[in-house]
Amino acid sequence: MIRLENVALRYGRGPEILRDVNFHLRPGSLHFLTGPSGAGKTSLLRLLFMSIQPTRGLIHLFGQNVTRITPSRRADLRRRIGIVFQDFRLLNHLSTWENVALPLRVTGKKTQDYQEDVTDLLQWVGLGERMYALSPVLSGGEKQRAAIARAVIGKPELLLADEPTGNVDPQMARRLLRLFIELNRLGTSVIIATHDHQLMQQFQAPRLELHDGRIHQVG
Amino acid sequence: MTFDPNIPTAQTGTKELYSPVRPKERNWNTQSTPIVQAKTVTGNSLVVVISIMCFLACLTAGTVYLINQSAAAWTDDIASEVTVQLSFDQTTNIDDKLSKISFFLTNQQGVNGVRPLPVEESTALLEPWLGGAANLNDLPVPRLIAIELDRTSPPNMDTLRNGLKKNFPQAVLDDHRRWQSQIQTVTRSLALGGLAVLILVGSATTGIIVSATRSAMASNREIVEVLHFVGATDRFIAREFERHFLSLGVRSGLVGATGALLIFIFMPYFMRLLGGGNMTSAEIRRLLGTAALDMPGFILLGIVVIVIAALCMLTTRYGVYRILNSQHH
Repeated sequence: MIRLENVALRYGRGPEILRDVNFHLRPGSLHFLTGPSGAGKTSLLRLLFMSIQPTRGLIHLFGQNVTRITPSRRADLRRRIGIVFQDFRLLNHLSTWENVALPLRVTGKKTQDYQEDVTDLLQWVGLGERMYALSPVLSGGEKQRAAIARAVIGKPELLLADEPTGNVDPQMARRLLRLFIELNRLGTSVIIATHDHQLMQQFQAPRLELHDGRIHQVG
Repeated sequence: MTFDPNIPTAQTGTKELYSPVRPKERNWNTQSTPIVQAKTVTGNSLVVVISIMCFLACLTAGTVYLINQSAAAWTDDIASEVTVQLSFDQTTNIDDKLSKISFFLTNQQGVNGVRPLPVEESTALLEPWLGGAANLNDLPVPRLIAIELDRTSPPNMDTLRNGLKKNFPQAVLDDHRRWQSQIQTVTRSLALGGLAVLILVGSATTGIIVSATRSAMASNREIVEVLHFVGATDRFIAREFERHFLSLGVRSGLVGATGALLIFIFMPYFMRLLGGGNMTSAEIRRLLGTAALDMPGFILLGIVVIVIAALCMLTTRYGVYRILNSQHH
């Protein structure tokens, strides 16, 4: 599913944020990606999401080397990946429903083919009453859930979540974590970047710990 | 429906996860909002500028078309008729000579009809240059014979000219070749001038659209980023932008073409308002014919609108691809 070989990353002429990162994750696995603030968790997720290129090393996703990839191939692969951003990245002029439907809309599918799925998923994440609200009027927790719904609506094979519980109360955080675990049980590989140790203790899962730009697998 | 705190367990199937409870009432019209908003892409000032460009293009294309039509009609008239000119000669009976020449010409191959012009008609032709006040009948006005040619099998002009010269040395055949050539030169020059103006308008429109595309991409940078994240291809993103520019092109094109059409309809009135009077209208009519567009003329203006709209759309597509490509590398 995911294989990184000697991956290093630096921005411009700055110091190396990641160095000699090597790991291999099997399909259907769930990992917490942890480490102190600034350790490079978001950068690692961005590498996996192909929004930046490593300074050196190789990244294999779904059996393909994505270090050098054409834009159209990258778009194809991204449709197999769901991502939850720390800052949600919802489009302000679209309703919650439209934001969640976006990954399906860009594939060129007809609205009729997915409108029930989107509506049902929104009901399921508790946004049934906020379906037609524009994203600026949603609360932080609602935005978070809308962002998660958008990430999972395409039934991705890989889900990357960057601090997905950072903007919600502990109870909602547990609910969302359960959602990820459920998705994982249905076959989606999940990587959750977090530094919430309480949460990690509650949901036992192997960890990828980032320290000094290097990764250590725990558990 | 409120959020159920009991998140499904492993026993919950995919169906339940993605389609748990279906509400009885649902608004099906949920996907009407464009991903890229028109107001962030094409402002009013851009519509005005492209409308002006299309107006200029339609005006140029229409004028060149009218001049072409007019010139074609002149050339057609000139080509189907030649003239024999008989110099004034006091010693001979000129009417008798005209009859003989007419008889000779009637028997030539490729001649459909021969009409000797009465002296009044010949002198009338000189009126524009000499004025009506002069006593033209006292002048040694040459006499003319109009020959209508068979356009399907025209005569050999050199043979006709030589035969005429041999039998009637004072008669000169004028096949108007010089005029035809001059009209063609003028028409060609005007057409080239028009083409140059159209190229300039096209280039200016392209430049404006390139710049507008850049600014539209910059103001929608976040949207483009999100679209990339959710797996949109460059083609999809380009389509989101180009549909706005296509609509801009069509709207502006129609406004510009309507403006140009009004100019063509009201041009004689404008001339009169500007102080040109009837003489100016007559001059314009001479140059542009009736100055009214016929059906092919309207189609030409329609083509200009289509070209402007297509130019807007394709320039945007190319511009978006270029910007996205530069972001990928």
